[in-house]
Amino acid sequence: MRKRELNMRLALLEALVLIVAAIVLGVAFTFVTHQGFFAKTQPMPPAATPNMEMISLAQAKEYLDSHNALFIDARHEFDYQEGHIRGAVNIALKKFDAHITRLNKISKDKLLVVYCDGAECNSSIELTVKLIESGFTNVKVFFGGWQEWNSAKLPVEK
Amino acid sequence: MKSLFSNKILILLIRIFLGGIFVIASLDKITDPQAFANSILQYKVVGPTLAMCTATILPSLELLCGLSLIIGLYPRGCALLITVMLVGFTILVFSALLRGLDISCGCFSQDPLVNKIGYQKIAENCGLIMLSVWLLFVKNQDINILQFLRKHPDKS
Repeated sequence: MRKRELNMRLALLEALVLIVAAIVLGVAFTFVTHQGFFAKTQPMPPAATPNMEMISLAQAKEYLDSHNALFIDARHEFDYQEGHIRGAVNIALKKFDAHITRLNKISKDKLLVVYCDGAECNSSIELTVKLIESGFTNVKVFFGGWQEWNSAKLPVEK
Repeated sequence: MKSLFSNKILILLIRIFLGGIFVIASLDKITDPQAFANSILQYKVVGPTLAMCTATILPSLELLCGLSLIIGLYPRGCALLITVMLVGFTILVFSALLRGLDISCGCFSQDPLVNKIGYQKIAENCGLIMLSVWLLFVKNQDINILQFLRKHPDKS
């Protein structure tokens, strides 16, 4: 009985050491690789695409008020769930292929407004390119994105 | 029968098997913690911050436990943590099934379309829990791969 007690105490101590090591490793790894809590998007200049139209905050707001536009949030689902433009759907750039069936139900001339985090995020542009390649003819990029929209205290939801 | 369950070679093989599963399971999660956080959110039990905390720490814990178990470092501590993780995850999957959630397990891949949860996953986990509990309480833990290889060198 005493030996079993010692074994359990040893197991608990070993477990504690492993937990502490895991915390240190996890935090250090995500810090070094800029992921998780330390994630930041790479600033890139907007790609020049002939069929792509950049719109301003005011224009984006007009489109939202007109109820004619479908807003698409190109960010990771995690960021989308933290908050997004009211009525926007989430089509993360990395998960584009998984949404093909859903996208095919949308009319190709539907007004789409694509955004991501803001000026330091290129996902909206890359997603727009994919949408245009998929046959959508009326796609706008709200390049100011979530940061500009939220800073202006415009309608959002979680 | 008693000697079979205390057999050092059997202990070693099961450590490698269980440890290997956890190492493989951790790799996809470590490389994309945000995707793993999303998988956690699908279970609808914690909010985004706690999901991200879990996504930051849990894959590292799986990797460390898996590697440690394979090489024979802190075997009981690893077995204890693996048991806790498996029991916790099994309860989570069961809860999700009861609530009718049609979601991916998030165990080995963060692709939302693969490895959907089901009672098969629960049965698999129960099997792994039995192995980890056995490793936690079995005697003769003073064996590791290096010792085994030294005692049984390749004779070719």
